[in-house]
Formats: sequence, structure tokens, C-alpha cells
Amino acid sequence: MANGQQLKMLSVKNLHASVGDKQILKGINLEVKAGEVHAIMGPNGSGKSTLASVLAGSEKFTVTAGEVTYMGEDLLQLSIEERARKGLFLGFQYPVEIPGVTMANFMKIAVNEKRKAQGLEPLTAAEFLRMMREKSAIVELDSKLTARAVNEGFSGGEKKKNEIFQMAMLEPKLAILDETDSGLDIDALRIVATGVTRLKTPENATVVITHYQRLLDYIVPDYVHVLYKGRIIYSGDKSLALKLEKEGYDWLINDYRE
Amino acid sequence: MTIAEYIASEAIESFKGGVVDSSTDTSHPLVVLNPKSFKMELQQGIKAQLVIACTSSVTASVEVSLAEGVVLDIVELYAADSIVKVTVHQAESSALSTFSALLSSSHVSYTHALEGRGATNRFNALFVATGAEHQTIELNTRHLVPDCSSNSLIKGIAAGRATGEFRGLVYVAPDAQRTDAQQQNRNIQLDNAQIVALPQLEIYADDVRCSHGSTVGYEDAEVLYYMRQRGIDAATARRLQVEGFVQEVVMRCNMEPLCGIVREAVSDKMSQI
Repeated sequence: MANGQQLKMLSVKNLHASVGDKQILKGINLEVKAGEVHAIMGPNGSGKSTLASVLAGSEKFTVTAGEVTYMGEDLLQLSIEERARKGLFLGFQYPVEIPGVTMANFMKIAVNEKRKAQGLEPLTAAEFLRMMREKSAIVELDSKLTARAVNEGFSGGEKKKNEIFQMAMLEPKLAILDETDSGLDIDALRIVATGVTRLKTPENATVVITHYQRLLDYIVPDYVHVLYKGRIIYSGDKSLALKLEKEGYDWLINDYRE
Repeated sequence: MTIAEYIASEAIESFKGGVVDSSTDTSHPLVVLNPKSFKMELQQGIKAQLVIACTSSVTASVEVSLAEGVVLDIVELYAADSIVKVTVHQAESSALSTFSALLSSSHVSYTHALEGRGATNRFNALFVATGAEHQTIELNTRHLVPDCSSNSLIKGIAAGRATGEFRGLVYVAPDAQRTDAQQQNRNIQLDNAQIVALPQLEIYADDVRCSHGSTVGYEDAEVLYYMRQRGIDAATARRLQVEGFVQEVVMRCNMEPLCGIVREAVSDKMSQI
């Protein structure tokens, strides 16, 4: 990096968000730099998925306070699709099915929208097909699935592999993976995690939201944060994940119980 | 290419109706452009394809009789405001397959009478109503004798201030035992549009397998969010979703190259949503 400085990618300050009357995020602070992997852990209902959704721009949540800077811009002013085109990718916990829209068509539109935003020409059919082939190999995604409707009739494992395939196609700067490991058997977990690791470069960053330490055996984080009741209450290095696996969250969250 | 251009370029002569027998050239589809009223009788064992296309407004009555063992595929396209009544009589072991697309303010009513044992009837239709249009598909599938089957899928989209209407009736006569009748109707209602769906079953026989269903849905916000998260703008995401919705029925048109033209017409219409 220039001047030996890592590029600051994401800066979240005092972020508050609610759904209806319910306050879910109560002052999140988080800094992510290029090349880093952050893991966000925490018990159910602590706000992990909400944080991911708010960063992606989900209209279900209202930001009530705080600010988010992404690549030097005010992220909260950008539409969902603008965020995506600027390289923010969300791997969904529950990928949706889109009947009648093939994976190939879906990805072709998405990739070309991103290229358009970057001032690039759309890919030719041959270039696109080559890209599909290369990227589907990264997650060992059956190439037949790309001819099928998006996620329709995909198994749980295939849906999650498909998220990482889309990530590979879109080459994001910042990937937020929301419980990509949930519901995966050990083989699928290895494939998904290996895929994520192969996509890692010094220029991009990954935020992994997970319940379990096991994913972090494959995707080694630089930082581990514990989210509880809408705040990051503790941050540490990768050894924190192992400690949480052994000892649970009680030693951390006792002070925060109501 | 529009269907009118296709007919002109292929120098297809408009079919005037009448008897279709072994002396009729059925190697190409019989094409009726902007029908007035016409009758058609297909003689025993004939296999044929029929195209009905409305590119200017018509009011017409179409009557088709299928003799024993006839296999008939019909593709219909309504690109101009029309009122058309289609009546089909099916004799023993005849097979009718209909694909119909309404893309303008039309009212098309079908009466399909299964009058001979072992007759089969497949019906696939869609309407795409935009602006202030009012489109109606009426389907009356009449099982009058035993051992017949019918399978219908009707999908509708209404957007803008349009109204889309489906009125369906499956009738099973008292002695039409072992009838197998399936009818599914799925609709999407957008903007300030209205869907009217009236599916009905009238069953007077006791040994039958009948199912019908009708739904009215809206855009799926989760699907739109997912697509937008991949960088697709909201308008394109919506169009992809509704195109995907009709894809299932559009893919059931299988008379090439005509269905390519129909798909193009459907896709053009979709761009108005």
C-alpha cells in the first residue's frame, strides 16, 4: 500500500438502527481496512444480521443515529444498488429463490451493471461464459446450476456455495458474509471457506458473521468482535474465537445483563 | 419481428376454416390473422397446428371440432383489442394443446367440451395488462364423458391502472367418472392495478381427481432486495421478477419459430411495466 498505510475501507461510528419501535443497534463502532478479515460473533438476537443488512442498505431498518463511511463516501446516502456497484457484497443468510430467472442471466446483468458503473464495456458472451466457468470452479459449483433459476430447488449447501460464486463473479471490495456457515455440512463448509480464502487479496476485506468457531479454522480472522445487545462489547484477535468456543459468552456478557 | 411481418415474409395464406382432412397441407401451421367468425372441422386422425393472431381489433367466434384421435396445437396472440369466443369440441382420444397470450384489452372466452372418452386438453395462457387496459380470460373446461383429462395454467400480470380478470370453471358431468382435471391460476398485481380471479369447480361425478388453485401476489420485496444487492437497479429487478413469473407459462409455447415471435411480443409488452 502507498505510504505503508492500509486503505481505510469501512468506518462505522456510533451506528444506531431500529425496526419499527425496536432499537436493535445501539452504537456500533467498527473500522475495517483493506486486506483485513473481521469476524463478528455473538449470541442470537444480538444484532449481527441487522448490522449486515443496514450496511447493505436494507429498507427494513431505519438508521436513527451514527455514520458510516465506505471508501471515503457516506455509505448511508447510497441506494442498495449503488453500494453493491461500489463493491459492497452481502452473502445472505437465507438466499432467496427467483423463479424464472436463470443464474446465468442474473449474473450477466449484475456483472455488466457493475462494469457500467466503472465505465467498462459489457462482457462479450464468450468472456462471460469463461468467467462463469472459472468462478464456479472456485466453489465447486455444479455448472448445470448456472442454467437453472436462481436458487430454485438448490440444496442448502448449494445456495451457500452460490453466494460465494456470486461473490467471485462480482469481485467485491468489502464482502459481508452473514452466517454463510449455518446449515452447512463439513464438506460444504470447507468448500465455502476455501472459496472465500482464495478470493482474499490485499485490496479487499471480509467481514464474517458467524455463530461458530469452526468456520474460523478455515477463514482466519485478524480481529474477532463480540456483538451483544446492539453493541460491540469486546474485540480481540483470533484466539478470542477459541475462548468463546470453549467458555461461551457468559464471562463476557454478565456485566451487560439487565 | 412481429407476427404480421412473419406472416407476410413467409407468404402464408390465411386459413379460411372448413374441413381439414388428409388432403389439407398440415406440414405448416394453419394461420388465421384477425379472424371474423370461422368454423374448422378436423377429420379423424389429423395432426395439425393452428395460429390465431389478432393484430387489429376484431370481434369473432371461432368453433373447432376435433374428430377421433385428432392432435391439434393452437397458438393464439392478442396484440389488439379484441373480443373472441373460442369453442372446441373434442371427440374420443383427441388431444388439444392451447397456448394463448393476451397483450391488449381483449376479452377471450373459451369453452372446451371434452365429449369423447380419453380426450386430453392442455391449456396455457397469460395476460399482461398495463396502462388502463382491461383484459379477461374466461375458461370453461367441460368434462362430459368419463376418462378425460385437462390441465390448465393461467398466469396474469396487471400493472399501472389496469384490470386483469380470470374466470375459470371446471365442470364435471354426473357420469364423467375418472376425470382428471387440474387448473392453476397465478397472478401478480402491481401499482394500482386490479386482479379479479374467479376459479370455480362444479363436480357431479364422484370418482374424480380435480384440483384448482388461484393466487394473487405482489412483487416480492425480498427478491427485489436480493437483486439490488447484486447491483441491479430497482426497475430492472422488478422487470426481471415479473418476466421470471411468466417464464413458466411462456416456455410451454412449443411451436417454433412462432413462439420466438410470441416471446418477443411478451417481452416488449413487459417493458411497459
